[in-house]
Amino acid sequence: MERIPILKMGPFLLVTIQVDMHDRLAMQLQDDLTTRIADTSARGVLIDISALEMVDSFIGRMLANIAGMSRVLDAETVVVGMRPAVAITLVELGMSLTGVRTALDVERGMALLGSAQRR
Amino acid sequence: MNGRLLSVGIAQEHDIVFARQRARQIAGLLGFDPTDQTRIATVVSELSRNAFQYAGGGTVQFEIQGTSVPQVLAIAVSDVGPGIPHVDEVLGGAYRSDTGMGLGIAGTRRLVDRFTIETSSRGTHIVARKLLPRRGKVLTQPDIAELARQLAQHRPQGMLEEVQLQNQELLRTLDELRRRQDELERVNGELQDTNRGVVALYAELDERADHLRRADELKTKFLSNMTHEFRTPVNSILALASLLQDRLGSDPSQKDEVYYIRRSAQQLSELVNDLLDIAKVEAGKIDVRPSPFEVDALFGALRGMLRPLLVNQSLALVFEEASGVPPVLSDESKVSQILRNFISNALKYTERGEVRVAARLNDTGDRIIFSVADTGIGIPEADIARVFDEFVQIENPLQRRSKGTGLGLPLSRRLAELLGGSIHVTSTLGVGSTFALELPLVFRDPITARPIRIEPGRVPVLVVDDSEEEMLIYERALMGTRFQVVPTRSSATALAAISAVRPAAIILDVWLQTEDSWELLTRLRHDDATCDIPVVIISASDDRQKGLALGANEYPLKPIDRERLLGTLDRLTVGSPRARILSIDDEETFRFIIGEMLAEGFEVRCAGSGEEGLRTARTWLPDIVLLDLELGDVHGSEVQRRLREDPITSDVPIVILSSQPVSEALHAGADAVLPKAALSRERLLETIRATLAAGHGANATRSRG
Repeated sequence: MERIPILKMGPFLLVTIQVDMHDRLAMQLQDDLTTRIADTSARGVLIDISALEMVDSFIGRMLANIAGMSRVLDAETVVVGMRPAVAITLVELGMSLTGVRTALDVERGMALLGSAQRR
Repeated sequence: MNGRLLSVGIAQEHDIVFARQRARQIAGLLGFDPTDQTRIATVVSELSRNAFQYAGGGTVQFEIQGTSVPQVLAIAVSDVGPGIPHVDEVLGGAYRSDTGMGLGIAGTRRLVDRFTIETSSRGTHIVARKLLPRRGKVLTQPDIAELARQLAQHRPQGMLEEVQLQNQELLRTLDELRRRQDELERVNGELQDTNRGVVALYAELDERADHLRRADELKTKFLSNMTHEFRTPVNSILALASLLQDRLGSDPSQKDEVYYIRRSAQQLSELVNDLLDIAKVEAGKIDVRPSPFEVDALFGALRGMLRPLLVNQSLALVFEEASGVPPVLSDESKVSQILRNFISNALKYTERGEVRVAARLNDTGDRIIFSVADTGIGIPEADIARVFDEFVQIENPLQRRSKGTGLGLPLSRRLAELLGGSIHVTSTLGVGSTFALELPLVFRDPITARPIRIEPGRVPVLVVDDSEEEMLIYERALMGTRFQVVPTRSSATALAAISAVRPAAIILDVWLQTEDSWELLTRLRHDDATCDIPVVIISASDDRQKGLALGANEYPLKPIDRERLLGTLDRLTVGSPRARILSIDDEETFRFIIGEMLAEGFEVRCAGSGEEGLRTARTWLPDIVLLDLELGDVHGSEVQRRLREDPITSDVPIVILSSQPVSEALHAGADAVLPKAALSRERLLETIRATLAAGHGANATRSRG
């Protein structure tokens, strides 16, 4: 069973989506991530989607769901590395990714999580 | 112009990923910028997910439309699902689906230049169109074909797709196999049913054939019995009517009445005679009495006999000169009977013209062909075969006027076959018929044709069996033995063979072609000359009691193997006629055992004491004496001495049968010694046979008392 690896970095979890996810894989990631947040008491989740050439409504919804769930589990979610074309398409599609914080790259994303941590 | 680029099937979740990757690839190849590539991929992803989720699958087709700039990329997603129920709300963006999405279709609309949707309960067909970038040149049909080729070559995610394709292929193959197996099973079942039917049909046919055979046998028996019974009273009526006619006075009406009685009786008599003839032929009871005769003389006699039938002035009966034909050796009366039948038939069915009778030789000159040609009404082609069936008369006006039993032609044919010949008919309706009788110039009895020659040193064994195969089996079984098979196929030929060669034994089959052999057995037993010939009935018909009661010596059932056959024949023909054996023993049980062991094939007498034994030996003159040593009155050695001393019994072979050890002296005086402990039927028979064979030269000429 293929899975998207979830890495623990200090108090944060780092997910780099390298493949074009099919829907079940996306659902799997959602499940795995929430479980890991609970297990590790992670305070933040960083999702790198720089490899994704496309984010459709399903994946968009999944990202929003992950953000919502981790917030309930007291963890902040930051999605980083979204390509401009993907961003344009998402907006045109009508997805605003409400509640998902974004950053341009991993570095800024980590900084964002770190500042949220300190608060 | 529509140029198809690619078609992707959506059957599993993975196919959605595959479809959107393809979409992105196509968009790239068509020169869309990255944003548009993402848009197009997203559109395909949304639409194919909808098809998969709501319709269980579908197809995505990529097409280039239009011939001038800008051309259009048309993406058609079709499924055969239940359709989209609230399509207007969905398009308006007001609808939220249960799955929490619902953005799909509405959002997709915004990503493309033109979006059409047709949905019904039979399926949904969505076409999303996007204008190609203006900077590119117009894609012609070959360009599109080239693109399609490139797409076919460069497959994204090769491994996964490959495995997937193979999986699908496998599933399809499995499915196909299962369907074929089902089909095979069905066909197999059908065949089995058919087979059962055929087997049942066979059994039924067999049964029917058996019924028919039995019915035919019954018919023959009935006919031959009935006709015999009929003939006597009919003859009486005839004779009495004649007497009455002679004695009647002047009353003409009475005379007429008696005349009609006589005529009716005459007709009845003819009918009965015809029937009897058929029955006889069927039962094989008609004997052929061949004698040489001239055809001209036969024609002369026929002319005289048949002229009275010729009452019609416009009809001529012509016998052709037959001077060139040599004399014929056959049964003249039967030839005459057949020709008479032909001629009277011809006269019956011809109103004017002629009936021409002729005889000629065939091309090889060994057969003679008699023909009777008429200019009568003829026989319809369909009926030609039927005229030889018993009791058949072809419907026509002339027929009704003439009397007849419909037995003439069948009888003629049987007679012709009996004479080794055949009958042929040619006929043209309204022109005339020709009946031809073809006979061998020299009649040869199929059985007696082969003269019986017994090889020197062999004993003839007469086999009466109508089956060629059985005969062959007997001949094989007895090949190289002292028995020689004399084959016969009927009672009559068997009797002829017996009178020619006296067989040492007769093997009888019960069911012969047209008769059974019980009568033959009875005749053999009643005739002094044949009553002592041993008869073995070897038959598939189990009627042992009857066979033995009628005088058969043995009645083993078919099939019989060679050993048993030889054993039986050996036993029955030992010193034939039956050897006489005197058993001298004081023990009653033992005498009984000996009697039982030798009951078949030997004449056995027993004596309970030495004195009695000696008396019997002198008066009865046995071929062998079986001597016990412990006798009540005198010792066995004494009996042996006195037998040897008496000139009458001096050369009778003695076999000592004793439970005691036998002294040297006794042993020397006896022809054989058999310890009682080792006694068995086989040993006893073997000893007797050996003793008889050894003493044969000395004893053969001895006269019997």
